[in-house]
Amino acid sequence: MPKSSFYNEELYPSPMRHTWNEFQRNHIALAGLWCLGFFVLLVLLGPWLLPFGPLDQNTEAILLPPAWDANGDVSHLFGTDGIGRDLLTRVVHGCQITFGASLFLVLLAMLIGCSIGAYAGMSRGLRASIINHLLDAIMAIPTLLIAIIIVAILGTGLMNSMWAITLALIPQFIHHTRDMVRREYKKEYVTAARLDGASELRIFFHSILPNMIEMLVVQATMALSVAILDISALGFLSLGAQSPSPELGAMLSDALETAYVAPWSISLPGAAIFLMVLSINLVGDGLRTALKNRLSQ
Amino acid sequence: MPLLDIKNLTLEIDTPLGWIKALDKINLSIDSSEVRALVGESGSGKSLVVKSIVGALPDRWKVTADRMNWKGRDLLSMSDSQRRAITRSEMSVVLQNPATSLDPSATLQEQIEESISDSQLDRGWFWQRRQQRRLIATQQLHKVGIRDHDVCLASYPHQVAEDISQKFALAMALVSNPKLLIADNPTMGMETTTKIQVLRLLAKLNKTRELSILFVSHDLLAISAMADTMTVLYCGQTVESGKMSQLKRRPLHPYTKALLDSAPSFRRDLPPKAALSSLDGTIPTLQHLPIGCRLGPRCPRAQKECVKMPDVRRIHEHYYACHFPLHRDKT
Amino acid sequence: MLIYLGRRLNLLLITLLILCIASYILAFLFPGDPLTNLSGTPSPSDDQAQQLRLMYALDEGALAGFWQYLKLTLVGEWGLSLSSQNPIFDDICQFLPASIELSLYAMFVSLLVGIPLGIIAGLNHRRISDMGILSVSLVGFSLPVFWLALLLILIFALQWGGLPMSGRVSLLYDIPHQTGFILLDIIMSNVANKQQVLLDALNHLILPTLSLSIVTSSLVIRLTRRSVINVMASDYIKAAFAKGLSRPQVFWRHGMKNALLPIMPQLAMQFTVLLTNAMIVEVIFSWPGIGEWLIQAIYQRDFPAIRGGMLAVSALVVIVTISVDLLIRMIYPLSKKQIHAQV
Repeated sequence: MPKSSFYNEELYPSPMRHTWNEFQRNHIALAGLWCLGFFVLLVLLGPWLLPFGPLDQNTEAILLPPAWDANGDVSHLFGTDGIGRDLLTRVVHGCQITFGASLFLVLLAMLIGCSIGAYAGMSRGLRASIINHLLDAIMAIPTLLIAIIIVAILGTGLMNSMWAITLALIPQFIHHTRDMVRREYKKEYVTAARLDGASELRIFFHSILPNMIEMLVVQATMALSVAILDISALGFLSLGAQSPSPELGAMLSDALETAYVAPWSISLPGAAIFLMVLSINLVGDGLRTALKNRLSQ
Repeated sequence: MPLLDIKNLTLEIDTPLGWIKALDKINLSIDSSEVRALVGESGSGKSLVVKSIVGALPDRWKVTADRMNWKGRDLLSMSDSQRRAITRSEMSVVLQNPATSLDPSATLQEQIEESISDSQLDRGWFWQRRQQRRLIATQQLHKVGIRDHDVCLASYPHQVAEDISQKFALAMALVSNPKLLIADNPTMGMETTTKIQVLRLLAKLNKTRELSILFVSHDLLAISAMADTMTVLYCGQTVESGKMSQLKRRPLHPYTKALLDSAPSFRRDLPPKAALSSLDGTIPTLQHLPIGCRLGPRCPRAQKECVKMPDVRRIHEHYYACHFPLHRDKT
Repeated sequence: MLIYLGRRLNLLLITLLILCIASYILAFLFPGDPLTNLSGTPSPSDDQAQQLRLMYALDEGALAGFWQYLKLTLVGEWGLSLSSQNPIFDDICQFLPASIELSLYAMFVSLLVGIPLGIIAGLNHRRISDMGILSVSLVGFSLPVFWLALLLILIFALQWGGLPMSGRVSLLYDIPHQTGFILLDIIMSNVANKQQVLLDALNHLILPTLSLSIVTSSLVIRLTRRSVINVMASDYIKAAFAKGLSRPQVFWRHGMKNALLPIMPQLAMQFTVLLTNAMIVEVIFSWPGIGEWLIQAIYQRDFPAIRGGMLAVSALVVIVTISVDLLIRMIYPLSKKQIHAQV
């Protein structure tokens, strides 16, 4: 951004702006952001742009290779699967389900986790100590394992797996929020606010929350990539979304039978998951570095 | 020949706003068995000078100098291993914040014994050598005033108090019998009695072992008693340097005078509630260095010419860099 | 230190107790008769039912019932599987080692690859080698493990055909079950051509281990790199340079220990992630481990088996994390300070 300034004046950007400036300097992360934006657009607009439905079967074109293959056909850009469903359509719808569901459940988990975490961080004594110790134990168990256990209890299905992953993600949010609240709570500006007679709620919303919102965003991107991986893993194990649904993981397990004759039906949906997770990780990493650079200056 | 002779040392730092000269043409020389004080406000680049002498700066920073000689050999052009050999055996340094400059995962014994070079030991089997190392370490600890050496040596850095770790850092620097000790604020935060002890120890070593000392501090009262010569830094520029006595009696640079005045004095004739004299303003940050003489905006005697960097002028052994020095208005 | 040890053991016991309580409650939450869910007897006759009610002390209130359940759990009486009618505890003893074995090898490989690469990247911070390693690790970290496993099968087992794609060892060989660790079992057994069998088992190990360790080693790289960068920027490293030590000396004597020790717990924590990923990979490679067993149990709605498997896996995870944490606290001096600061 070209700045012409006659007076050798220093521009002090706002914290958000500063983070954004730092983020922009990292080109790879910026590319990740573009990629993520593309996926969001795809999720929002994709289904309207496609001529086929995710469950439509074209019996004349079964196991058609992708368009770039010699035997491929342009009408089915990514080819078709074993019962003649258009793969491109299914991948786009799959992104919608996988990405949309993950986004929703991460937001839900963040809301619940942060409230409990904030409560745990602001409270003292026995209650806090019990929450701490329990959390330490639960944090050690990987989310996917918790999710599998919860699915085992609730039964299979996309909704159930979403609940399971939400529940599995909550402990992490609680843990991080609690730590951040604790850290901020010790600082002088919070003490100053308290001496001014601010209530606990006010301290939290006006002093602590603005200072940790960015860390929460970073945390949410990390959780988002975990959620996508977990939801598709559950789909793949047929514990989450069930077979005809175009969820990406479920599609992969569908394609197992035809893997040898139609390798693209495995590689393409998987690549979609991979790209989604990669772009989210890039953005998350970039944000974290940007924040760290900002704080270290 | 001076022990260490530095001419026009410049250090450039990479910041988001481009390269900035954190040190600008520093001149410094130390003769053997001389005690030189390096003074300046905090942020004036004293620690950077120390670090660039011993080569403990990040690789990305650029150090250039017309001359940086150790006993006539150029430090900057010699190979890494040669330079290390010199820093290992002939120079020693006490960095600021001794508590953080100790390895947290090793006991103090391991760390002090690492500084003892093999040439200090008699030949012998390795267990004998180990005992010798232990003995040397213990003696050195006693010298700097740590009495319970066993406890000290067995503990980890986080287990000892701040002033003990400071003394320990000093012991670690002295244990290899260096020619030059570079002490970056070695008495910071010590209580007065221990401070006097340490200063006395340094003075004694200076007299008996001909140890040269580069004493970095902003504590003028502590330094003035023991230092022979003094160099004053401001914002990474050498402002004035010369004999301690001369500098104290007739400072030529306005900054030196301000620095000397700002030390609390115990004169009887002070009027009650007299203000402690100090310069207006604060030391500028690295991003906002003024051009020319960096003292310019704060200087009581600044004039138009001060936007040009003054040349270093010399009267006998007294160097100063100012267009309008004190006491010399007639010339 | 002893107090800390006590606290951690306390935490371990409490967590295990909570897990037991959870699994006991599950028996009542699962659809169907709690008695069937506890014992695994599909539809007991009146006589049997009476006996089982006595055995699980179901009529004496919740606390007595749980106490009885706890005792039975401790002696290894975990009920029968609904689908196969095998004792669950024996099944778990047979399948769990296979999973642990796979995870251990994968852990070993990822540490072997990840730590040196992480150190190299950390030492060359902001140079090309760092960028390269970092981007590769970012890619590896984003790969879904099941997709990776499928791709590896597609490439190495189907296209190239050089590597087997399922099982632990070729069906030709009959290895008696002793420890559950296939390589150990082969060595301890007395089959003909031991070398050949071992080689075959190793061949079977390659693909699952590879797919697990790619993901984990990229995590290890990232952790190590961050830690090395932080340590190399610290004051004591500068002080060590100022003492006149050379770069390798500084790193080996001061950098290495300080960089690796603090991330040990996190590295060890990767084992639990690995174990979970191993459960997925087992399904793909038909590896007879606890993951495949548990997921089969979920398909068949085999509630006693789900309960048992869940209890076993989560107990293993908790025990591993807490004991590793404890071990590291003992050897790392700085963390002792944190123990006291926490009180």
